[in-house]
Amino acid sequence: MKNLSELTDFYYKVLFVSLKRLEKDRKQVQSRIIVVGVLFTLLTLSIYFFLFSTIYSDPNIMIFFAFGYFTLGAIIYKMLIKDYTKEFKEKVIHPLIKELDSNLNYESNQHLSQKYFRDSKIFNSTIDRYSGNDFVHGEIDDIHIEFSDIHAEKRNKNSKGKDSWSTVFQGLFIVADFHKHFSGSTVVLPDSAQSTFGDLIGGWLQSKNASREALVKMDHPEFEKEFVVYASDQIEARYILSHSLMQKLLHFKIRSKHPLHISFVGQSIHLAIEYNKDLFEPSVFRSLLDYKIAMEYVQTLHLCIGIVEELKLNQKLWSKQ
Amino acid sequence: MSINLIIFALIVIALILMYNSLVSKKNQVHNIFASVDTQLKKRYDLIPNLVASVSKYMEHEKSLLSEVTKLRAEANKPNISDEHKIALDAKVSSALGSIMVAVENYPELKANENVMHLQGSLNEVEEQISAARRAYNQAVTDYNNAIEMFPTNFMANAMNYTTKDVFQISENERQNVNVKELFNS
Repeated sequence: MKNLSELTDFYYKVLFVSLKRLEKDRKQVQSRIIVVGVLFTLLTLSIYFFLFSTIYSDPNIMIFFAFGYFTLGAIIYKMLIKDYTKEFKEKVIHPLIKELDSNLNYESNQHLSQKYFRDSKIFNSTIDRYSGNDFVHGEIDDIHIEFSDIHAEKRNKNSKGKDSWSTVFQGLFIVADFHKHFSGSTVVLPDSAQSTFGDLIGGWLQSKNASREALVKMDHPEFEKEFVVYASDQIEARYILSHSLMQKLLHFKIRSKHPLHISFVGQSIHLAIEYNKDLFEPSVFRSLLDYKIAMEYVQTLHLCIGIVEELKLNQKLWSKQ
Repeated sequence: MSINLIIFALIVIALILMYNSLVSKKNQVHNIFASVDTQLKKRYDLIPNLVASVSKYMEHEKSLLSEVTKLRAEANKPNISDEHKIALDAKVSSALGSIMVAVENYPELKANENVMHLQGSLNEVEEQISAARRAYNQAVTDYNNAIEMFPTNFMANAMNYTTKDVFQISENERQNVNVKELFNS
């Protein structure tokens, strides 16, 4: 696999022509958004004052207008950047993925099946709205890997019976074959209780988590500090999480710089990296040639696709041959 | 009067909780040791096959092979204590490790599919054993902590519970493999 700097070179050299053209598009889209935005705002304000100049202090109408303004604004914004987004994904993201591994397929409008998300057992709450995009799937060294951007939400009813949506997970969800045989489930989550309440109370709280299976204390202090492990079988959890894998997962967590949830269920490893934003979307107000913007695309893709190598999933040692 | 009763009830509840937690910790140790034992047996079952496959070629390591066979016979004796099992496991691990290193010196063995398959099975069992050992050590640590810490130590004393040994991870296992040294030897 190409390393990070080779991939950055690819971005700036091979994709340069496409980027230049996209950059032109971007500037057009940007100025269009500003013009439309200003007109739209002025229009909304004039309608508001024209219709309700006498009762404008009513807060309900104010809220209704603000809500309408943002919703409609978002739809208009999406429409304005639609072509530019499509072009960007086809001309930049797709070649980057192919450059990392030519066996991978990319579909910008598809997402990972919800079955994987549910079966992973990482998130316990019910999911009422599930969406995503930027679906990548294929084989690397005989290891099947799939990932995409996922946004999973839950519906909440407030006291007035109104619906509101809260995000359960937003970020990258990766599924890959795992090289050891196991039958139960092992879930590795970020350790929030122990870091907030300290070892004694936090540890006690973790062991009382009724929605999870039994708590498994790992014999790797740094890993235990970052993560908490719940599993259906004590021994199996330790069989999966060997010392070297724990070390690699820790390293992966540090590299990803975002909260990491992992689970081992069925024949697969599932990784959910919480970015809390839609990834691989084109930048509109900053140049695509900006180093920071470029690195975000390059680094994220390198991290996901590099997982097979990084976690040595392709070393089918003895159990699966 | 009623305050005394409440205090008495609280003390009884605390005693029951302590008693139950100690018993459950002891049983946890017991259960996990049973799993360790199963894995150890699996490995012992592989030994005769391995010895039979390699003994034709291995001239200089005859003593090593007979030692492994002897250890296996000892481990299969009925009614041996847990401590003894733990001690035997350490010896078998180191003897098997030496045999595996010796295999590297015999090109005929390295080309032998049966031996390679056995080596694969052994490695797999070793990983399972290592996981079971780590689980056992954690269970024993929890149990020993409960026995030695206040206030459960009084209860444990009354129940005649004593601390248990953990599996020692051998120095060889802890060290990283030195590839350079392997090539030089």
